[in-house]
Amino acid sequence: MKQLWKMFTRGLIVENPLLMLMIGLCSALAVTSSVANSIGMGGAMIFVIVFAELVISLFRKLIPKDARIPIFIIVIAAFTTIIHLLMQAYLPDLSESLGVFIPLIVVNCIIMGRVEAWASKQPPHFAVADALGMGLGYTWVLVGIGAVRELLGNGTLLDFQIMPQSFEPILFFTLPPGGFMVFAFFISFNIWLKKVTGTKAGNTIVSESV
Amino acid sequence: MKKDIFKLGLALALFAAGACAALAAVHIATKDTIAGHAARKLLNSQQDLFPSADTFVELESGVSTEAAKIQFDGVWKAMSGNTVVGLVIKGIGPSYTGNAEVLVGINKNMKVVGARILKLNDTPGLGANATKKTYYVDKATETTFPAQFSDKNASDAFAVGEDIIAITASTITSKGLSAIVKAAADSGAAWLRSNAGGM
Repeated sequence: MKQLWKMFTRGLIVENPLLMLMIGLCSALAVTSSVANSIGMGGAMIFVIVFAELVISLFRKLIPKDARIPIFIIVIAAFTTIIHLLMQAYLPDLSESLGVFIPLIVVNCIIMGRVEAWASKQPPHFAVADALGMGLGYTWVLVGIGAVRELLGNGTLLDFQIMPQSFEPILFFTLPPGGFMVFAFFISFNIWLKKVTGTKAGNTIVSESV
Repeated sequence: MKKDIFKLGLALALFAAGACAALAAVHIATKDTIAGHAARKLLNSQQDLFPSADTFVELESGVSTEAAKIQFDGVWKAMSGNTVVGLVIKGIGPSYTGNAEVLVGINKNMKVVGARILKLNDTPGLGANATKKTYYVDKATETTFPAQFSDKNASDAFAVGEDIIAITASTITSKGLSAIVKAAADSGAAWLRSNAGGM
C-alpha cells in the first residue's frame, strides 16, 4: 500500500510531468488561458492516461517488443477518441472551447512516456497508481496556471468576475509570453515545495522502469 | 523471419480490431446525442434571430455567394404564418484555425438582425473570445463581438477597424467572421429584394 501511495504521489511534485520532467508542455501552455479549459483538459488527460496505462499493463506480456510503439499509439488514440466523443455528447460547450487540443492528447509525450517507461513493464495496480499521480500532477499545474492567467488576463475565475470593474485586465497574461512567465513561476514554486516538504526524487523514470 | 513478421502483424491487427470495436460502440452510443446537440443549437440560434418566426423552411437553391473561400451550408426562410419575415444563412469561412460557422439573420429591411457563431476552433483566450458572452469589444456598452453586427445595414462595409471593432490580438478571427457575415448579408439582402418584397 505504501509503495502504491509513493507511486501515486511522485507525479504530483517530485516527478511532476510538467514542472520537473518538462514534457507535454505545448498543450499545457495552449489551454491554460482559462480555468475551465484547464479543468477540462486535465480531466480528459487523466481519463486517457489511466485507461491507456491500465490496458497496456494488462496486455504487456502479449505485446511484441518490435511492434510496441504502434500498439501504444492505437491504444492511446482509441481512448482519446472515446473521451472526445463523450465530451462532444455530454459536455458540448467545454468540448467546443477546447477544440483541437483534445484530439491532440494522442501525441502528448506524457502518456507515451509513461506507457513506454512504466506501464509496459509493471502490473496493472502500479500502472494505475502512476497514471493517477501523473494525471493529477498535470491537472493541478494546468488549473494553477489557468487561474493566474484568467485572473490577471481577464479579471475572472471560471467566468465569474473576481477583480473590481476598475481593474484593467493585463492582456500579456492571456498571450503566450504570459503563459511562459507564469509557467516559470510554477517551476520555481515546485522546486520550493520540494525543498519544504523534504521530498527527494528516488530513481529516475528510466531506472524505475527497468 | 516470416514467422516474426506474421506475429507482429497479427498483434497489431488484434489491437486495431479491439480499438475499432470500442470506438464503434462509443460512436453508436453517442451519435444521436451529438447530432441532437447540433440540431438544437441550430434551431435555438434561428429562433433567437427571429423570435417572431414560427417555422424555418430550408431553401434548396437560389442563395449563393461569390465571396472568396466562403460557402453557405444552409439557407432558411423565417416564416411567420405564410409571410416571410427574413432569411437565416449558415455561412462557413476561414478563420485563424480552420473554418468558422456563423448563422446570420437578415430581415426585409435589409438589416442584419444578428449573428450567432456556431463553430469556431480559434485559440482559447484569444480568437475564441468571439463566442464568450462575457468578452466585450466595447466595455462601456457591454457589446460582445457578434452583437455589433445586429442592426447593421447589409450595405455597410463590415470592415474591421472601420465599423467593426476587432477582438484584441485576434485580427484574423475578427476579419474572418466579419467576412462571413458580410457575404451572408449581401446574398440574403439580394434574395429578399427579389423574392420576398424586401427593400
